[in-house]
Amino acid sequence: MSDRRPRSLRWLWQCLLWGGYAALSAAMMVAFAGHHSGGYFIAVMLGLGLWASSEALRKLALQHDWLARPLAGLLWRMALAIALLAALVQVLVIVPLVVGLTLGWLQLTGSDFSPWALLAYWFNTMMPMWLWAAAWISLQAIRRSRQSELLRLRAEAERSQLEFAALRARLNPHFVFNALNNLRALINEDTERARQMVTQLSNTLRHALGHSTAEMVTLAEELAVVQDYLAIEAVHFEQRLRVEEQIEAEALTALLPPMSLQLLVENAIKHGIALQPQGGTLQIQGGLIDGRLWLAVRNPGRLDRSGNGHGVGLAYLSSRLQALGELAAFSLDAQDGHVLARIEIPPCAP
Amino acid sequence: MRTLIVDDTRLARAELRTLLTDHPQIEIVAEAEDVAGAIEAIDRLQPALLLLDIQLPGGTGFDVLAGVEHLPQVIFTTAYDQYAVEAFQRNALDYLLKPIEPERLRQALARASERLNSERSAPAVPAGGLLGAQDTVFLRDGERCWFVALRDISHMVVDGNYVRVHFGSEKALLNRSLSALEARLEPNLFFRANRNALVNLRAITQIDPWVNDGYRLRLRDGQTLEVSRRQARELRERLSL
Repeated sequence: MSDRRPRSLRWLWQCLLWGGYAALSAAMMVAFAGHHSGGYFIAVMLGLGLWASSEALRKLALQHDWLARPLAGLLWRMALAIALLAALVQVLVIVPLVVGLTLGWLQLTGSDFSPWALLAYWFNTMMPMWLWAAAWISLQAIRRSRQSELLRLRAEAERSQLEFAALRARLNPHFVFNALNNLRALINEDTERARQMVTQLSNTLRHALGHSTAEMVTLAEELAVVQDYLAIEAVHFEQRLRVEEQIEAEALTALLPPMSLQLLVENAIKHGIALQPQGGTLQIQGGLIDGRLWLAVRNPGRLDRSGNGHGVGLAYLSSRLQALGELAAFSLDAQDGHVLARIEIPPCAP
Repeated sequence: MRTLIVDDTRLARAELRTLLTDHPQIEIVAEAEDVAGAIEAIDRLQPALLLLDIQLPGGTGFDVLAGVEHLPQVIFTTAYDQYAVEAFQRNALDYLLKPIEPERLRQALARASERLNSERSAPAVPAGGLLGAQDTVFLRDGERCWFVALRDISHMVVDGNYVRVHFGSEKALLNRSLSALEARLEPNLFFRANRNALVNLRAITQIDPWVNDGYRLRLRDGQTLEVSRRQARELRERLSL
C-alpha cells in the first residue's frame, strides 16, 4: 500500500517545507552572525540534503513496508536511517564548506569544526528529520486505517451478497410460487391433499431457512426434506416426474451439509425433468465407501453450462463442500442423454 | 374472446380456468403444455388471446411467439420470470404473477380487449390472412424481443437462413425465408427490390437511377438499397398506380 497522493502535490509540499526550512536557517544565521556566503551555502545545502533524505526515508519505508511492522521495529529502523542520513547530509555540507573556506570561495565567521560542534550539527540535522518522519508516519497511519476500514466494509458487503444469493438459491422462488399456485388449484380439487401439501411446503421452507452455514445434518434428516420437496414437485409435474430412490441403510446416519442433496435434486428437476415434455425418471442413490458418504442424482437431459441458473446453487454447494476439506468432492457429468451429479463427503465430527 | 392457455402444469391450467369463470367473455378454445403444441394450436385455432407461461418444456414462451404465423394478444403468466417480460423494450406487454390475483387478471383482460378493439377499428385487414400495415410481428434478437407494427419496418434483407428486419434504429433476425414472408404481406405495403431484399414502399424517401438500368433507394433510416433492372420496371408500374 503506497501513498496515492498525486506526485506533483507531494513535490509541492516537500519544496515548501524544506525551502522554508532553508530560508529560516539562513535568517537565523544572518541574525546571529551577519551576512556571509558560507551561511547561505550551509542553509541551501541543508535544505537540499534534508529534502533528499526525506524522500529517501519515504522510499525506504514504503519499499520495505516498515509501516506494517510493530512500533518498536518501525522506530529503530527509522532512528537508524535518520542517524545515517543526517550524518551523510552533514558530510555533504561540511566537506564542500571546508574546501570552499580554504580556497577562499566562501566566507564565514566563528566556524567551529570541533568534535562536539560536529555532534551538535548532526543532532540539529536529525531534529527536523524526526519531526518530518513523525508527521509522515501519522499521515500514513490515518490513510491506512481509512483504507482498511473501506476494505472491511467492502468485504462485508460482498459476504452479505453471497449469503443472500445462497439464501435465494435455497428458497428457490420459482418452486415456492409454483407450489402456492398449485395449492390454490388443489384446494378446489382435493382438500386433503392440499392440507398435506401445506405441511410439506412448510417443512421445506423451514429447512431452507433454518440452517446456519456451520451445521451438519444426518442423511436421514436431509432425505426427509428431499421427500417433502419431491412430494410438492409431484403435484406440479404429476406423471412427468418419476422418482427412484436407492440409499444404503448404513449411510442414513452419515453427516452432510444441509441442502446438499436437496440442491442436487432441485437442479435435476429444474434443468432436467422440467425441460422434457414427457418428463423422466429421477434417480437418487447413496451409500458409504471407506466410511465416506457418496450421493448421486441422475436425470434425463443435457449439461448446459452456458445458461444461467446453474450458478448460484451449485456455487453454494461447492463452497460448502470445499470447507469440508480435500476429501469432499463434487462432479457433474453428462452421459448418453443423462446428467449425473455426484458428491462425496468425508466423515467429520458433529 | 377466443383464448388459448399455455402452461405445462395441469393444476396451473385448472387454476386459470377457475379464475376465468368470472369472465364470461373469455372462451377457452384449447390448452397446450409445451412449445410445439402451443405453436400448432395457435396456428390452427387462431385465438385472439394467449395466456402464456414463460418456462415451458422444450423452450420458453418467447419461442412460441417467435414460431407462430398468427400473433394473438399475449398475457404472460409466470411464477418468477417477470424480469424476462420487463426486459422487453418499448413494448407494453402484460404479465401476471402466479398465484394470480383476480383483480390483476381483470385489468390485464380489459387491456387486452381494448388493444384488440383498437386494432379492429384500424383499416380493414385484407382478406386471405395477409398482414397489413397495422399488424404486428414478434421479433427477437438474442435476449431482446420486440412487437413491431409492419408499417414501422423499413426493409428486410436475407441473412443466411434468416431474414434481418430493420425497424427504427434497431434490427432483428426472423427465422423465416424472405419468400415465405413476402407471401404473407399485403402487396401494396412491401416491394421486392431485388433477390435479397423487401422494402417498405412508405419508407422510401428518394429514388436515384443506378447502374444496369436499376435504381438506388434511399430509406427514411438513412440506409440505401439497390433495385435490380428486372424489378425496376415493376417499381415504376407500382409507383405510377
